[in-house]
Amino acid sequence: MINNLKNIHDQLIIADKSFSSRLFTGTGKFNDQQTMLAALKASRSELVTMALKRVDMQNKDDDILAPLIKNGMNLLPNTSGARNAKEAIYAAQLAREALQTNWLKLEIHPDPKYLLPDPIETLKAAEVLANDGFVILPYVHADPVLCKHLESAGCAAVMPLGAPIGSNKGLKTLDFLEIIIEQANIPVIVDAGIGSPSHAALAMEMGADAVLVNTAMAVAGDPVAMSEAFAKAVQAGRQAYLAGLAGQVNHAVASSPLTAFLEAG
Amino acid sequence: MNVFVNERKTEIPQGCTIEALLNLLESPLKGSAIAVNQSIVSRSQWSEYKLNDGDQISLFQAIAGG
Repeated sequence: MINNLKNIHDQLIIADKSFSSRLFTGTGKFNDQQTMLAALKASRSELVTMALKRVDMQNKDDDILAPLIKNGMNLLPNTSGARNAKEAIYAAQLAREALQTNWLKLEIHPDPKYLLPDPIETLKAAEVLANDGFVILPYVHADPVLCKHLESAGCAAVMPLGAPIGSNKGLKTLDFLEIIIEQANIPVIVDAGIGSPSHAALAMEMGADAVLVNTAMAVAGDPVAMSEAFAKAVQAGRQAYLAGLAGQVNHAVASSPLTAFLEAG
Repeated sequence: MNVFVNERKTEIPQGCTIEALLNLLESPLKGSAIAVNQSIVSRSQWSEYKLNDGDQISLFQAIAGG
């Protein structure tokens, strides 16, 4: 009963917003808008990422913003495509104008093959943007020292990666994620590489505050069913963390009484 | 007069504002951001900001992304 009450009020608070769902989602790679909206709904996500790009005047993209707003989503624009701090700051200012939010997923990846975040440029940009009133959630390598620097710079959360973006390889950085979670005074959102609900559950069991999933839902055989599976996994992982996992030991500890009943008498 | 929207030459009437340009291009106002000659113009100024001949306009739009 106490645990149930604890779970009901288990809200994640980042800056000025509070979230019931600890599953954040991306909007990329879905086959069509209808599938994306149905999947996001099934995920029960309350925060979705978006990108910004120069409009191709001959081949315009669909307006995906209107249906997201209609469905009550909070928007988290990213700075994808920025290769250094200067470009990220410009992208952040454009995103704030476009989406009328000061929330920002700061991501700077100069290398298109691995899309690994540039720690130096990310910290540089975070320091400037924090002073400009942005609520910054930086996408970073699972580097505990960098995460503390970003916390000091005024970031609202940190988003360390589990594995390269879109790789679906899971928590390859597990040991370092544990250190980040242990040391952080701001929410830790495990981003990138989460390829299955079990990866998401593991991150939550470890004490991550949330996870961000995109590719694993969008390119699944059935994106809507997979999104629902992720929602359940994140909830289960969080509940397990709150319940307190039983510790591991190297020797057997009997679950049944070992009284020698055959000889009893 | 002519302006360049994402490098594309576009004819607009004299005194055309940013808001009028977006309507002309049938671009959604929501989810868009504009820079004129590399300077970002805040949405609150769009209805008054008059464009000049030869202005380089960068038009950005929110799209799907992770």
